Amino acid sequence: MERMKLGKEKLGDFFAKLGNKQIYAPQKVGETLRFAPVAPEDELDLEFSNTTVPPKSVLFPQTETLYRYDLGSTDLNLPEDEVERVLFGVRPCDARAMSIVDHLFSWDFDDPYYLSKREKTTIIGLACLEPEVNCFCTSVGGGPASTEGLDLLFTDLGEAFLLQPLTEKGEKLCREAEDVLEQATGEEGASAEKLQQAAAEKIVRGVETNGIAEKLPKIWDSPLWQDVSEACLGCGTCTFLCPTCYCFDIQDEAEGLEGRRCRVWDSCMFSEYTLHASGHNPRPTVRERTRNRVNHKYSYFVEKFGIIACVGCGRCINLCPVNIDILNILSEVIKEEAI
Amino acid sequence: MVDLEKLRTVAKETISRDDIKYLIGWRQGTYGFRVSPCFVREPGEAEQLIYSPLCTNNLASYLIAMDKPPLPRGEKPDTRKVAVMVKGCDSRAVVQQMAEKGLEREELYIIGCPCEGVLDLKKVEAKFPHLLDPVTVQWNKDKIIFQLPEGAEEVPREEVLAQECLSCRDPNPVLADIMLGEEVQVWGNGEYQDVQEMEAKSVEERWSFWEDRFSSCIRCYSCRNVCPMCYCEDCVLDRLNPTWVYRSSNISENTAYHLARAFHLAGRCVECGECERVCPVDIPIMKLNKKLAKEVEEKYEFRPGLDPEAKPLQSSYRPDDKEDFIL
Repeated sequence: MERMKLGKEKLGDFFAKLGNKQIYAPQKVGETLRFAPVAPEDELDLEFSNTTVPPKSVLFPQTETLYRYDLGSTDLNLPEDEVERVLFGVRPCDARAMSIVDHLFSWDFDDPYYLSKREKTTIIGLACLEPEVNCFCTSVGGGPASTEGLDLLFTDLGEAFLLQPLTEKGEKLCREAEDVLEQATGEEGASAEKLQQAAAEKIVRGVETNGIAEKLPKIWDSPLWQDVSEACLGCGTCTFLCPTCYCFDIQDEAEGLEGRRCRVWDSCMFSEYTLHASGHNPRPTVRERTRNRVNHKYSYFVEKFGIIACVGCGRCINLCPVNIDILNILSEVIKEEAI
Repeated sequence: MVDLEKLRTVAKETISRDDIKYLIGWRQGTYGFRVSPCFVREPGEAEQLIYSPLCTNNLASYLIAMDKPPLPRGEKPDTRKVAVMVKGCDSRAVVQQMAEKGLEREELYIIGCPCEGVLDLKKVEAKFPHLLDPVTVQWNKDKIIFQLPEGAEEVPREEVLAQECLSCRDPNPVLADIMLGEEVQVWGNGEYQDVQEMEAKSVEERWSFWEDRFSSCIRCYSCRNVCPMCYCEDCVLDRLNPTWVYRSSNISENTAYHLARAFHLAGRCVECGECERVCPVDIPIMKLNKKLAKEVEEKYEFRPGLDPEAKPLQSSYRPDDKEDFIL
């Protein structure tokens, strides 16, 4: 399909054309930017570098009911069928993250909760033109206009958006909204590419990831793990806000005679995460937990699925209360002598 | 003003002592304005220590809640002192930990750092965005000097200081083995202005405010984990049997979490503001803590963390305590 153009003033009209689909876009909840349902008439502020909470929270909600039950009955009430959704304004790094997380949720068992949402969701990306200081997508196989995981990519041309349909889903969306779209000219296409290229050049941080997956197991006992983790508070900020972290716990919540089984985000940085019933904890300190976080993203996941489970969004660096910086850790890993 | 040379000399001497395990201080972070807590074990490492308006972290948190890995058989625990650098509020946390018998005085070597207020990084990074190279920042009376790549820039202190520091009554460490630099003059009056603003609102307005803020909580527990006064080995919020607070993130459980956290700090919070600083979703947690601090101060004339010999509020009783608020 050809590239299309949408006047910015027509964004609401574009949403209105999308029928019954529930549209999610970056919205302030409290003081925080995250993906939340919007109506076509809502004003959107798209001057964000990235949302604090990644869009994984829509497909893999922090709290998700698996089923409800009543005491004394063997009937389980499953959640209703998923609605069709459109995620608008997803940064390319976060979209890549979803395609990375797909590996896990369709690996040894097809996770019906995640996959049915994924199937019914169309993802509209917004090319990143002003990367933040801690963005390093280009080091881990992405880029400010990477299309992986996206169905449709928007690029902000100032007065209008350039639309680049990427999948069948994206093309379908463009056909539904064709009344408000125009054909983009070759010139407009070229200027979008120029902006995207300029954005990639604005990325200032990075790391050489070649060989890291093989190096990590060889420095398992290195003192570097204590050095880089000692200040860690053991909070869940880096993992909860990571677009590729997917760990969850399953809990039963009962009140009176009713209850539900739900899954909730969990974090490998919590000491409780690996605590055995015996009281033994195989990852007893922040040293082991930090080592696991880095190994999981840069070694185990690579070994299992052939891809690094990090998209370089920079959230864990920006939001760590004590400046534990994954780029710094990785550069130490590279320098370290294999044991 | 703390002289960096002096700081590093003192640190070197301290860490060279046989009875000191390590020294906890601050060092320049990995980019821009970031600073990281650091653990110094060798005299040579003292060179990386800094002290500036960017040293926000309350290092007293590390005295008490550190993971204790199981010792290999036959190995004895290292019981030497820990040296720690403290600002005014940090020292109050240490004092309160001692008052609660969480720590013994003999376990510590306290290096006092008079403080002229630390910065709110959100304000600073909004003012000077996208800086990669580490930036040096200094106090200069009522100004803060930023050594930016394009040259030095002076900013009025109140524009960039953290909210808690604007009304600080305790900029000087209340307890120290050695002080780095002269005491600074107290500028704050400890007024509870933002609490009073909140109190003036109707119950509905207040609930709608907190409902909005608590809804955004992601339950990462950074506010609890960073708090120097949250050091229970078995936290009620981690309990699974019974589960006092469900792991679900929703307005009900999030509210339960925040109220439990705040109430457990009544008469204990030293108002360092770390919880609010580290919150990734900007929940104004200090408004809750300050409300409780105000109640405790008004009703019991008590401020925690000033006297290591004082009894903790909840375990003390004075016959002349006010009773006019008791139903």
